[in-house]
Amino acid sequence: MTISRKCVPFTPFEGELAKSTIAIVTAGGVHRKDQEPFNIADELGDLGYRVFAQDVKAADLKVTHHHYDHSDADKDINVVFPIDVLRDLQAEGFIRDVARKHIGYMGYTMQLKAMYEGTAREIANEIDKGSRADAVVLTGG
Amino acid sequence: MKGIPTVLITVSPEVSAQMRPPRALYPYGFKNGNSLGKPGMRDLQKTVLREALSLLTVDTRPGSIVTRDFPEYGEYHEPPRVRK
Repeated sequence: MTISRKCVPFTPFEGELAKSTIAIVTAGGVHRKDQEPFNIADELGDLGYRVFAQDVKAADLKVTHHHYDHSDADKDINVVFPIDVLRDLQAEGFIRDVARKHIGYMGYTMQLKAMYEGTAREIANEIDKGSRADAVVLTGG
Repeated sequence: MKGIPTVLITVSPEVSAQMRPPRALYPYGFKNGNSLGKPGMRDLQKTVLREALSLLTVDTRPGSIVTRDFPEYGEYHEPPRVRK
């Protein structure tokens, strides 16, 4: 599959939010505390990503990223990775369900081609397989 | 894969616009690191997330970024500019 840089890769949303399952993918450097932190020592950045389960606890997450001030995310991860907010929207019936998988990666990289052609596709495949997401919310830092 | 609908919440609209996201929300004046608002402001965070998800269900112009004001945030921060 070739992705054109000239056209917008628009996928229509066909459905209702109240019947939809939503995943979160963040470039804010979010990972579980027991997962390997992102490599902030490498000037080229880190092309990796971390997968979180549906029941991941906000308290088990942290940020490793050196290109934005994440002191607020350190107090409340929901400001960049709104997992509890999504659960609230599920509880009030705004969405049907929280996806089985969510993803954190460190958006900072100087290896743009590898990010665009490698990591981005791997993340899309990860969401496509087993998350049951009908749509994805993307956040940065 | 048939594709996955996405909606982006960005606090760097000029930077994000370079990638021409299919749907995007810019919460006006939110600072870097506050995509959903400030810590503990759950009502505001819910409002922002509802607004972002709602962009999935309306006709947006793919590649453009929708700006919404959330006065309860209570601050304005100049977003990063793209160096020309």
